[in-house]
Amino acid sequence: MFDIALLWEARGLILQGLWNTLWICFLGCLLALSLGLALAALRLANPRLFGYPVACYVEICRGTPLLILLFLLYYGGPSIGLRLDAEIAGVTGIGLYGAGYFAEIYRGGFKSIPKGQLEAARMLGISPWHTLTRVQIPQMARLIVPPGTNQLIILVKESALISIISVDDLTKNATTIVNQTFHVIEPYLAVALLYWLMIELVARGGYALEKRLADRQPRHVTQ
Amino acid sequence: MPMADTLSPPPTAKQKAIVEAHGISKQFGDLEVLTNIDFSLAPSEVVCVIGPSGSGKSTLLRCLAFLEPYDHGSVYINGKLLGYEDRSGKRVRTSEKRVDEVRAPVGMVFQHFHLWPHRTALENVTEALRLVNGLSRGDAEAEGMAMLEQVGLAERAGHFPESLSGGQKQRVAIARALAMRPRVMFFDEPTSALDPELVGEVLDVMKKLAADGMTMVIVTHEMGFAAKVADRVIFMDQGSVVESSPPATLFRHPKSERLQQFLNTWRERHID
Repeated sequence: MFDIALLWEARGLILQGLWNTLWICFLGCLLALSLGLALAALRLANPRLFGYPVACYVEICRGTPLLILLFLLYYGGPSIGLRLDAEIAGVTGIGLYGAGYFAEIYRGGFKSIPKGQLEAARMLGISPWHTLTRVQIPQMARLIVPPGTNQLIILVKESALISIISVDDLTKNATTIVNQTFHVIEPYLAVALLYWLMIELVARGGYALEKRLADRQPRHVTQ
Repeated sequence: MPMADTLSPPPTAKQKAIVEAHGISKQFGDLEVLTNIDFSLAPSEVVCVIGPSGSGKSTLLRCLAFLEPYDHGSVYINGKLLGYEDRSGKRVRTSEKRVDEVRAPVGMVFQHFHLWPHRTALENVTEALRLVNGLSRGDAEAEGMAMLEQVGLAERAGHFPESLSGGQKQRVAIARALAMRPRVMFFDEPTSALDPELVGEVLDVMKKLAADGMTMVIVTHEMGFAAKVADRVIFMDQGSVVESSPPATLFRHPKSERLQQFLNTWRERHID
């Protein structure tokens, strides 16, 4: 039997989990987006100096599980004097991990801007910084909205792994309810629904942003 | 990368060339694309560079602008060495900032326009006025509108590049370069990417510029235009300057066999 009343009684735990998942994902994604941009921009600005280190970073992020990174941060951190709260380890883990993926997404966006546009800027005396911020990033931003949204969705889902390093997120609190009530289906279905809701919001946000960026360049009819 | 090994003497004071090149060479890997080129451009002079594709004419222009660093020789803009400096007897690359300073009198127009697609025609023109010259938005827009007026596109100011025709895009690109008040304009095959019926409007703008006394170097396949507008035509082949004369001489009395061949091929294709 599906017991809705059980969920109502456990609402405190569910809401706490929701809140934790929300803010940890938000900060983690913010870190991933900004660190990723910094990495991609460094690589773009000086490929000779930063190309290899950034490429290594990307490969490590893509080649190792997030869970291992979380273990290293949370359980391994203290042995090198790094004592992080589980929540902060979660934010850091998601951020560092996502940054590798975002750096690659940004790179793709930067690469699809014709080189000639940058030469035009150079010939006008526009500085590399202004070329980056006024010519490259605005065009790159528009190009990466669909793959970027996709990556954010993946990060939100993977955030369930922080439950394993004892963060009271949606997944861990669902498990707590399961252990207290011996009902498995209701708590997990409920949090699955909540994850889906969050992800739907991210997806809609992505579409809205895509549309907004396209509207800023209205199509005029020639002639 | 091979570095310029000898220091050419700077141009003497009495030479008033705006752009001057001594013995420049350029290699891409094993391929020598420019061999020992000398070039000089006097104020208000219009020089057209012609030649078969792969002859190095675009590379020459790009080396004169330091978009491609030349390997040997020297390029001077207003008497200042471009791209390199002498540091205790050895030639080293200057900073990008110094390159920008020396190159500031040069405006450039590209074959594929290279407008910024996320900016309107007017914004394309005002961008450098605001970022480089520090003009206020209002001043930059007034200046930008004047430039668009000059190329006959004031009424398209609010349009994004994608809604402009090729000819209009190229005219915006010209206005964008002119806004920085260059003393010399480089055109790299400005009409080669255009539909035939749009070539005229761009050449008209360039003719007007030439008539107003703008100093220009134009890499082009438009022989008719070169014959009418150029003070001097340079014919390049296989990375070298083969002939350099006023158009009347060069087109009517080509000295070298290669130029004769080139012109014959062109006539066969265009006259009948």
